[in-house]
Amino acid sequence: MKNFFRNPVLESELKVKMRGWRAAMAVTAYIGIMLLIAYLYFKTILDSVLRYGGYNSASQSIGLQVYSVLAVLQFALIILVTPAQTAGAISAEREKQTLDLLLCTKISSIGIIFGKLVSSLSFILLLIIGSIPLFSLVFLFGGISPGDVATLFLFYMITAFAVGSIGIFCSAMFKKTVTAAVTAYITIFVLGIVTVILGAYMLANYYDSFAQTSTTPPPYIPSVFYLNPAIGLADLMLQQLDGMSGGLVPSISRSIFGYSYYGGSSAATQNTGIAFWKPWSFWIKNSLVLISIACLLLGISAWKIKPVHRWKRGWERK
Amino acid sequence: MLVIKDLVKKYGKFVAVDHLNLEVEPGHIFGFVGPNGAGKTTTIKIIATLLQPTSGTVKVDGVNVVEEPLKVRERIGYMPDFFGVYDNLKVMEYLDFYGSCYGIPYRERQKTALELLELVDLIRKKDSYVDSLSRGMKQRLCLARSLIHNPKLLVLDEPASGMDPRARIELKEILRELKNMGKTIIISSHILTELSQICDMVGIIEKGKMVIAGDMDDIMKRITGKTIVRIKISGDLEKAVNILKEQPLVSGIIKEGDELELSYEGEERELWKLLKALVDEEISVVSFGKAEGNLEKIFMEVTQGEELLS
Ligand SMILES: Nc1ncnc2c1ncn2[C@@H]1O[C@H](COP(=O)(O)OP(=O)(O)O)[C@@H](O)[C@H]1O
Ligand SMILES: [Mg+2]
Repeated sequence: MKNFFRNPVLESELKVKMRGWRAAMAVTAYIGIMLLIAYLYFKTILDSVLRYGGYNSASQSIGLQVYSVLAVLQFALIILVTPAQTAGAISAEREKQTLDLLLCTKISSIGIIFGKLVSSLSFILLLIIGSIPLFSLVFLFGGISPGDVATLFLFYMITAFAVGSIGIFCSAMFKKTVTAAVTAYITIFVLGIVTVILGAYMLANYYDSFAQTSTTPPPYIPSVFYLNPAIGLADLMLQQLDGMSGGLVPSISRSIFGYSYYGGSSAATQNTGIAFWKPWSFWIKNSLVLISIACLLLGISAWKIKPVHRWKRGWERK
Repeated sequence: MLVIKDLVKKYGKFVAVDHLNLEVEPGHIFGFVGPNGAGKTTTIKIIATLLQPTSGTVKVDGVNVVEEPLKVRERIGYMPDFFGVYDNLKVMEYLDFYGSCYGIPYRERQKTALELLELVDLIRKKDSYVDSLSRGMKQRLCLARSLIHNPKLLVLDEPASGMDPRARIELKEILRELKNMGKTIIISSHILTELSQICDMVGIIEKGKMVIAGDMDDIMKRITGKTIVRIKISGDLEKAVNILKEQPLVSGIIKEGDELELSYEGEERELWKLLKALVDEEISVVSFGKAEGNLEKIFMEVTQGEELLS
């Protein structure tokens, strides 16, 4: 047990991943892509402001806008990058014919799965840390505290953990990395879309049932939303972006999540993040659901790659 | 050191290993021989705790492979028939990685790694990337890897296939050294003669069943030079028998209807001389060929490969 926290797979993966220029180049490319997309986005806004004149409400909350664009963009990139990072974890070992060599050592299959996942997550964490300079731009404009950004990053890591475990699971289930990666991406996107559509349908039904009465229906969160980290992100960000109150999105979200915003700009100046969390916000429950599912998937993956099972003998098909 | 009792492995309905029994005493080099598809790899993977047996028991050093796989893994060094290497690691890092997977402390595994590199003659390559090694070097590195935790039993699946004769001699020397260190070694091959110089014990497996097992010398004696020949003749059988009796390397002629079966001690490529002797005396030979008896057929399959290779 003294070696419990020493995971050879993790150590070796990290050594290889961080060696040479590869990691640095990946981070550079990643930040480059974020910068480019953010630049294009704001150029469009700026152009329209210049063309149609006016110094409207959009420019007042420019900091919050920069923040939301960066936050959503980074979220999307993490969803895109994580499956690619994890889908080869087991299947690539199979393809390289190194899995058996690993399995016949004393390292447990849980240890292998854990080492692979954590090394991939470390890479994601590196990308996120690399994006800090970009996010610090936001502080220039005000409206967002470092604590907000830290909370957002925490949610990113939880999302990466969930998405990564889907990648690992596919990698353990399928022989080929290509199949595993494709299946992981399809699963993630279908899950993302289906939960939103199904949730919207459930919401519509819910409000239909109140159509006859004059009372305001209590907030209602469709259960499928708990499977979708994008909804959690929406909740988290809407809590942070109190400056952007008003409009359709906040009012819909209010009817779902049931909070009213922290008023004014006080949140940014007074709160340091942790204290800012509402105790049982949707995004926290969302995170817990995602973490539970991820742990389940990782457990199944470990079981799947474990070559011999004590109790399987009589049970196996004759 | 290794005891296999009534081992069965089915893939669906297909029986790959069929009630196999085997016992290997400590300190021996045991050759596990059988034609392709006989079930060698399947058996070896079960020994190495990498495959679930359907029924039967396998014990390594008294430890059951299904009950306590971790304890078996401590005792066994396994080299698969096909394997890959992490090409982005250096040779020492590679051995160090597996050492750490076996939970060996850093200093100890570094020391062992150097000793093993010495043993497999790769010490000059210790700081090279695994990627840059030749096939034979990778094979020797994999052998070193399988020894990193100082196992009692070494199981090598077809290590000599695809090796050139020089590499095979090197392997033989390494194995001999390991034997002197007190290790028990199991080594598989589909070519019997490939192992005849290396092993002191041999078992021959065919269609998942152990056909024969025992001392290498005894078994080699039973097969070297002995070919069973079957001849079909229309006409004077007695005359043919008399002619064959005069041939120097022929023994044990048996009549069976219009067929003759005999044992020929000479080289297979000299067999035509028998036929010539018969035809010269105008015996009408209908067919002439090697008998495909059960054991003989298997021996042929496991001895043939050598000729194909060289
Ligand atoms: N995973 C598998 N699924 C189905 N059949 C298999 C599998 N692995 C091996 N076999 C079959 O089992 C038999 C024995 O294979 P194997 O143990 O690899 O033989 P050998 O190593 O002696 O050449 C072969 O007929 C092979 O086709
Ligand atoms: Mg084989």
